[in-house]
Amino acid sequence: MTDRSSSVFSVSSLTKLYPGTNTPANDGISFNVVEGEIFGLLGDNGAGKSTLVKQMVNLLQPTRGTVKLYGRPVQEDPLLVPRHVGYMPQAARTLNSLTVSEALYFTSHLRGCNRREASRERERLLQLWDLHAIRTAQCSRLSGGQQRLLQLAAAMAGQPPILILDEPTNELAPQRRRHVWQTLRAENREKGTTIIFITHDAIEAEKIIQQVGILHKGRLAALGKPSTLKKRLSRELRLELRFQPESPPNLPIGLRPQKLAKGHWLVRLDQNQVDATLSAIDLARIDDFQLSSATLEDLYLHYT
Amino acid sequence: MKTRLPLPLHLQFWDLFLIELSNWRWGWRNLALTGTVLPMFGILLLGSFARELGASALSFVLVGNLVMALLFEHMGKLISHFAYLKTAGSLDYFATLPIRKAVLILAASSAFFILFLPSLFVVLLGGAWLLRLELHVHQLALIVIPLCALPLAGIGALIGVSFRTPEEASAVGRLLTILMLTIGPVLIPPERLPDWLVWLGFLSPATYAASALRQVILGPLSFRLLLDTTVLSGCILIGFWMVDRKMDWRGN
Repeated sequence: MTDRSSSVFSVSSLTKLYPGTNTPANDGISFNVVEGEIFGLLGDNGAGKSTLVKQMVNLLQPTRGTVKLYGRPVQEDPLLVPRHVGYMPQAARTLNSLTVSEALYFTSHLRGCNRREASRERERLLQLWDLHAIRTAQCSRLSGGQQRLLQLAAAMAGQPPILILDEPTNELAPQRRRHVWQTLRAENREKGTTIIFITHDAIEAEKIIQQVGILHKGRLAALGKPSTLKKRLSRELRLELRFQPESPPNLPIGLRPQKLAKGHWLVRLDQNQVDATLSAIDLARIDDFQLSSATLEDLYLHYT
Repeated sequence: MKTRLPLPLHLQFWDLFLIELSNWRWGWRNLALTGTVLPMFGILLLGSFARELGASALSFVLVGNLVMALLFEHMGKLISHFAYLKTAGSLDYFATLPIRKAVLILAASSAFFILFLPSLFVVLLGGAWLLRLELHVHQLALIVIPLCALPLAGIGALIGVSFRTPEEASAVGRLLTILMLTIGPVLIPPERLPDWLVWLGFLSPATYAASALRQVILGPLSFRLLLDTTVLSGCILIGFWMVDRKMDWRGN
């Protein structure tokens, strides 16, 4: 773990064992998040990502270890996290009886904005997340994607210096997902907001992540800058092949493709295998191919 | 980027009260049903037995059903509400806002009380008409009625968040209701209860709520009202103190 003096969050040897279970959901996790950083948590389902962030926002009691925010244990003062962190939970249905507009106003006001600021904040967030058309709709009647955008807006209400977002792009259409990542990047760049998020959307998230933690079976399998981690896989390249499903290409002996879809394979190659592989493939049977270096998704797949 | 200070407690209360009051949008049918129909049936049923025992017994039927609706329905609503908040993840939303737990519970309790008031008037007037009782409503009712609704509010919220499922929490709430209703002169006059049950009744806030309500809606007022309101106020304070100290909205 790097020693980083301007840490906002310091997680140290964090272990969580749920009552009645033998396997820890989090096992000895340690890392720091620096002020103004975008920190992405990746991992398989059940890897312990939500458990980890719930302990960071003091919603879950750790079995062992500590979580410090600005150098103070989060359990020490019940208002420490709420005053500094905007949290978006994984469950989207939390403000059922309010309208979209009311939910944003009350959240801003309860985060300490005065009435005028809260009204301005509501308008800013309606605009930012394109929620104007549904501002008078009751939250319980929103679609899954609209609920998710509202939760994102509510987490940002009052402009807290830290955002913790549990799968912010779940249930969103691709263009909305892109909008989320762009908005978060702008929020980080313009206001210096520290952003910690969980995602499965590794390809899109790669554009904004500055530090990544990859969780596997409750343990932190990898931690660092994506570029540094990717260097470990740098000799590995991705060859994506698209072809008619009824006539798959022949690959050199020893290469095993990963089937992404019908007529769409991914082959991982070492640099010295590239020439031989491309020569061996009958390009007449290929509709399209793409050779690229390792991505964040490859890192995720490699470590999990 | 600035870190803001939490809102003053009265502003926190007002916002949370309005948020909780918005529950009428989905819950008014349920509130009307349990708040009006059930007590009216209770009055009709028990009133038919108590009629031959005289006006005193009938007054216990009316007031007992009002206590049941005011004190226990209210507690039951808070149990289900907080159990729902926990299950739906809404408690996580509130727990990550800079607000006080006790203020949230007071706001939820006040909102449910306001939502219940129309039913209370229907039950009071309808019940008195059905039982042919003459009402002598004293202005102190404006203080006594909220005092009767709040003593178990804190306990209700505590039960709601302490159990794993809403079903478990509701079952505990029902058990508590039956226990407190059966001890002490709430539905049945003291002269028809064994002495030990009357004495045991002094441990239940329902006994004091029934006594206070009887005095302010049927009369006459006595010094007993002072004892009743003091005990009810004490229960409210202890309930909210317990919630503030014991209720942990963090999971285990």
